[in-house]
Amino acid sequence: MGNKASVFDEHKVLHDMAHYLPSQTPLKDFIHHNTLHAFQSMEFYPAIFKASKIFGYNVTFNVHEYRSLHKVGRIRDEILDMVIKKRKGTAEFNKWRDNCLAKQYTPSYDPRVGKLRANWKKHYHIDLDNLVQPLFFRILCSYLDQGIALWHFPYEDRGLLKAVREVEKNSFASFFRTKRVRQMLFDESLTIEKLMERVVGDARFFEQYLFDQQFSHRGWSGIVASIESNPHSILYQKKVHLEELIHLELLMEIDNLDAELGTDWLPMAKKVTGLEPVDLFADVPVSELQEVKMIWQDAFEWNYYDEVMAGVRLAKTLEPDEEVNLPRRRFQGVFCIDEREDSLRRHVELVEPNCETLGCPGFFGVEFYYHPANGKFYEKLCPAPVTPKYLIKEKEAKSHREKEIFHSKDSHRFFRGVISNLSLGLWSAFKLGIDLLRPKMSPAISDAFAHMNIDAELIIENTDPNQKENGLQIGFTVEEMANRVEGLLRGIGLVKDFAPLVYIVAHGSSSANNPHHGAHDCGACSGRPGSVNARVFAFMANHPKVREMLAARGLDIPYDTIFVGALHDTAADEMAFYDDKNLYPELAAEHIQNKEIFENALNLNAKERSRRFASIDTNQDIHKVREAIRRRSVSYFEPRPELGHGTNALCFIGHRSLTRRLFLDRRAFMNSYDYRTDPDGKLLLGVIRPIPPVCGGINLEYYFSRIDNQKLGAGTKLPHNVMGLIGVANSSDGDLRPGLPLQMIEPHDPVRLLVLVEHKPEVVLNTIQSEASLYEWFEKGWVHLVAINPYDNTFHYFENGRFTQYTPLNAQVPTSDDINDLIEKAPEMKTNYIVHATKENLPVHIIK
Amino acid sequence: MSQFLSYFILVPLLGLLVSASANKRAEGLIAWTAMLTAGLNLVGILTLGIYWVLGGFKDYHFSGPVLYSSSDTTFAIDLFFDGTTAVFTFVGSLITLFDCIFSRYYIHREKGFKRYFNNIQLFYLGIMVILFAGNLEALFVGWEIIGITSFFLIAFYRERYLPVKNALKVVSFYRVADVFLLLGIWVCHHYFHHSIHFTDWQLAREQGTTIITEQPYIFLIPLIFLGVALVKSAQWPFSSWLPRAMEGPTSSSAIFYGSLSVHIGVFLLMRTYPLWDENWAFKALVIASGVLTSTIATFTARVQSSVKTQIGYSSIAQIGLMFIEVALGWQKLALLHFASNAFLRTYQLLVSPSVLSYLIHDQFFNFIPPQHNFANTFWGKLRMSVYVMSIKEWRMDSGMYQWFWKPLKWFGNKASVIGLKGALFIFVPLYLLGLYFVYHKGSLPEAATSYLPEIMAVAGLLLVLVAFVERTDARRAWALIVMNQLFVSLAVAFNEQFDFGQVHLFLSGIVISAVVGFLVLNYLVKQGESIDLDKFHGHSYEHAKLSVVFILMCLALAGFPITPTFIGEDLLLSHIHEDQIVLTVTTGLGFIVGGLAIFRIYGRIFLGPHEKGYHEVAYRSS
Repeated sequence: MGNKASVFDEHKVLHDMAHYLPSQTPLKDFIHHNTLHAFQSMEFYPAIFKASKIFGYNVTFNVHEYRSLHKVGRIRDEILDMVIKKRKGTAEFNKWRDNCLAKQYTPSYDPRVGKLRANWKKHYHIDLDNLVQPLFFRILCSYLDQGIALWHFPYEDRGLLKAVREVEKNSFASFFRTKRVRQMLFDESLTIEKLMERVVGDARFFEQYLFDQQFSHRGWSGIVASIESNPHSILYQKKVHLEELIHLELLMEIDNLDAELGTDWLPMAKKVTGLEPVDLFADVPVSELQEVKMIWQDAFEWNYYDEVMAGVRLAKTLEPDEEVNLPRRRFQGVFCIDEREDSLRRHVELVEPNCETLGCPGFFGVEFYYHPANGKFYEKLCPAPVTPKYLIKEKEAKSHREKEIFHSKDSHRFFRGVISNLSLGLWSAFKLGIDLLRPKMSPAISDAFAHMNIDAELIIENTDPNQKENGLQIGFTVEEMANRVEGLLRGIGLVKDFAPLVYIVAHGSSSANNPHHGAHDCGACSGRPGSVNARVFAFMANHPKVREMLAARGLDIPYDTIFVGALHDTAADEMAFYDDKNLYPELAAEHIQNKEIFENALNLNAKERSRRFASIDTNQDIHKVREAIRRRSVSYFEPRPELGHGTNALCFIGHRSLTRRLFLDRRAFMNSYDYRTDPDGKLLLGVIRPIPPVCGGINLEYYFSRIDNQKLGAGTKLPHNVMGLIGVANSSDGDLRPGLPLQMIEPHDPVRLLVLVEHKPEVVLNTIQSEASLYEWFEKGWVHLVAINPYDNTFHYFENGRFTQYTPLNAQVPTSDDINDLIEKAPEMKTNYIVHATKENLPVHIIK
Repeated sequence: MSQFLSYFILVPLLGLLVSASANKRAEGLIAWTAMLTAGLNLVGILTLGIYWVLGGFKDYHFSGPVLYSSSDTTFAIDLFFDGTTAVFTFVGSLITLFDCIFSRYYIHREKGFKRYFNNIQLFYLGIMVILFAGNLEALFVGWEIIGITSFFLIAFYRERYLPVKNALKVVSFYRVADVFLLLGIWVCHHYFHHSIHFTDWQLAREQGTTIITEQPYIFLIPLIFLGVALVKSAQWPFSSWLPRAMEGPTSSSAIFYGSLSVHIGVFLLMRTYPLWDENWAFKALVIASGVLTSTIATFTARVQSSVKTQIGYSSIAQIGLMFIEVALGWQKLALLHFASNAFLRTYQLLVSPSVLSYLIHDQFFNFIPPQHNFANTFWGKLRMSVYVMSIKEWRMDSGMYQWFWKPLKWFGNKASVIGLKGALFIFVPLYLLGLYFVYHKGSLPEAATSYLPEIMAVAGLLLVLVAFVERTDARRAWALIVMNQLFVSLAVAFNEQFDFGQVHLFLSGIVISAVVGFLVLNYLVKQGESIDLDKFHGHSYEHAKLSVVFILMCLALAGFPITPTFIGEDLLLSHIHEDQIVLTVTTGLGFIVGGLAIFRIYGRIFLGPHEKGYHEVAYRSS
């Protein structure tokens, strides 16, 4: 035993396992992240191919798909040639070109994980997973359940294993099939290692066995690991540890083996001869096929990147050199960095050319927990990694939330069930008919505007730092407010030329029948609508004392400039404005006109979005299009209320003049930043720091969910069954399905994010090198980086630790006088097969 | 007006044909066809309903085409319309219409859009046939259609493991029910000596005569139908298939397992009610079953932590109550209860994904940590035991494995010692010998002849059992199943006054399907594909059209109503004497296991994860 123990280090194995398991939290919040975050310390390609070998993930398209993309012109010849030359040099150019275009490869599917446990079937003729998993998942789901079951798991406050022990102690019936294992459950001296001794019998195989076992249901194991490390991710908190999960599963395995084979079965390593342990994480040599795939994937990405840079180059020549003597702008709008706001910003500027739009992460630099009146919990409203010290409270509830009787649990009870059945039954036929023909908002639909009442009174200002609740300071002091306002405004370069009205536009998303609704909300607000943040920021920026303090720091906001918070519903394309009742009359009149501008822009935005929805005729009357778009967001039958971050590919950090004349088809995150106000790049670090984890995280989650929707995505939404309010599964006996559902990733071209920063390359290099965790994203190639030197209009691509100049190959960029015309004529995908789907993504256009 | 009844079958049939021949990308056409089909029928039902009311609630009866006729039997498709039909068809058509409107958007761009609507159309046809059936034969046709559609819709996501596994699980329940229904028809034949029309029963009841008086039929006949209803309506001890059937798109689960398919057991009880309306002992049994099911299902629903499963068990509980209502003679209440339960569960299932955001929001504002006060007393322990048992679904699922699958496999494995050579050297001569004696019945002593049918049937059963556990070569399993069919027809042929025409009718479909099916499997082998039965291969990924051909052959071989084999099957059974218990049981078992073995071959070869490494592969646990 002595030397065996040293072979297997339980603590380390569990720690590693938690690292590799999916880290998605329960679905009430949706935080996008790199699906393969566990491999992020490696270079992109070696990392994904290694993950593929270990876990059987699909990580790129297959060669046939790339070749089809090439055939339809989605990968241009000159780009392919460029990539081959770069990767392979000119000597072997022809050989590799031939490999890419013609050579036949035989793919293989042979993941390392799962091989050891396959021996149960091979040598014991037992389908252990079929015997164990259904009941095991049921126990686990019942234990973690947040409120579906009417009858809670007994003793669920004690931890999984203890609760099961208590249940077994106090019941005549048992979860176990054999008495022996029931006794083993009570034996607290048994450890995972001892149980493994019984099941596997040889410590050299323990780690491999545990990985096999837990990765046969990575969804459930992942949620347990994620709740273990982040207990606040569920409202009704449960103690649970991966260790207990494994302990219970091993017991159930022994139980079923005993029941099927009697008690004298041999441990696996003893029975199966010639078994050799496999090092799951051993390096994977790169195959020729993989090299071909790397070339193709690079070419697929560069095909787009090149187009974008060519567009930027051309657009720059159309911009006036210096903006001089412009009249005061009518208004400014600060939007979320989110790529879905790209089109709205473009339309706002189109409807009212004399305005300015800016972008920044949608929590607007104010981080806090929000406590709605009567709420029993707090909601975090800032990026996931941040832990706020502040609390914003609603004073009193203004409205009462209605109930949805069809979700009432009465219909599942015995006597009340009959009554509710007979009374609700025929009504539900009417209700269904109405929902089909005239869908409208109802309490069961998640409503972005309901996140905060439009007239809610918030406590934002703190006058006494000792005012605390559960360790959180209630509100912000004047200085704390000033710091945040200054930080944000300087970051986005809005330090002068303030318009009379500055709109702070947050976003959220309404959708019906959508367990993944959180994935459509604002990522910078932990997957929630950012309405509170917008209001809080506007309050801060309007505060006279804050203005005074800012003026003292050299940031002078004119007295007649007012900030107004707003919320844009990205699914319904509706907007609400907050605290706009008290504007002084002149401004109020301006505001009413501005609202009209936003209204028109929303019409156009709805039209632009509608081109991807087959059920809407884009060419019909624009108000009808708008109504159809709104209706989608409240339709139970609509699995695509919006397409979320699908197609995201770019992130611009720079002045709006870079992108103002570009039609980017809602594919670009846009963070405002003015190199002129920050010549040494002092502010740049703060601006660029959240980009890779937030935008890169979104991008990579879409990449992997698109490429392997079965293993890394959640599969199609249509059969999903909500489990315990924490996740979705297929069927009643299935594993949880983390990742994004098919309906969200269909139009997405899986390309890595290209971050384009408008500054001198040396400044950008210094900035990214100043933080190791930030640098890793770029260095290892999980996110691409280009510096646009504003002084000579050259492009510099970051690679191998330095910037090298890149000249776009693409000479011609299509031009469009009328974006509406482009939208109306855009092709629609025939199927969601990549070659068809990618046709929907329009090339970069210059807007005349 | 009676002529008009065939409209309700012809419209869905036409709809199905249009849908099946549409281009698979023509989403609009396909969806509109389905909506129009249900809509036209709905209008028809309303019209007919008005006439029916104005006509003083007089039932309509339509004698349909006679598919087979001989001196002693006829096989006809008769149609019938009464109050029960009116309510069921109205609810069924309305829900189907709503569901099609819903699905038009919901299924949009799904790979199997056309497949989905074809199945909905096929389902709708099946349910109309059942509901309008005027005799048991017609009802059986609809029954089979519903069964196979269930299989297709559960395995809709055929590239994943669980849907395919659960489809096979559910279809095995259904197969048992089908064979029981067939037995019910057989027993009725022997009792009534003619094909049964529901109008006759209706009339008899109106005249106050008791239909069944003789022992053992007085219990046997209703019991068989009760068995069928219990399976189809997921009553105890068969409830566990229902939540597992919810593998397809939510909209198909709603229409099938929330509302229509699952209430068919209630319909069957109402239809056969005249057979037991004065049989109080039997009524007590139905009531007991209803009480037991609704109690157990309510407890099970209480502990379910997944939303669709919870709705499923709640629905089962209500259906249990409907059984009680029917037994108590409260038909109208049962009809109302059916309608409301069907609508409610359809709606609840359709909006079930929204439960997450709704209940989380509710929890956010109203959460009260639950109290944990479990007394360590006898009652406390009893409560805890109920909790544990409910989590385990009262062992219904594991019980099915323990008491159904495992023994089948055990017998199969025992029987497979025969081996291929054994089969060739024992069974082929045995068959030839049997064949000789069938045509020369006089050459054998009376005593020997009386045992031969049983011997042949047992031989057939052994063969399908071996086919059922076959692991290495699908062609072998296929051949064994075909041989079973031959043995069955031979067994029945020993019965005197036998019409060989009927055997030929039975064999006509089998021969073609046997040959074509074999060729398909052989083609796959030639293409270098594996056709062992040890795992799922998912060949429909690359050979989609071939899989359609093969499933048609499977259906033909299994006696699905697309070939004359189906009529033959029914006729063959009618030639088994009522005292030939062994023959009846072995033949019935042979049909059950044969069907399962056929679906198993199709499932393993064409469905499930396709692991070739050039595309994504689903997890086994999904």
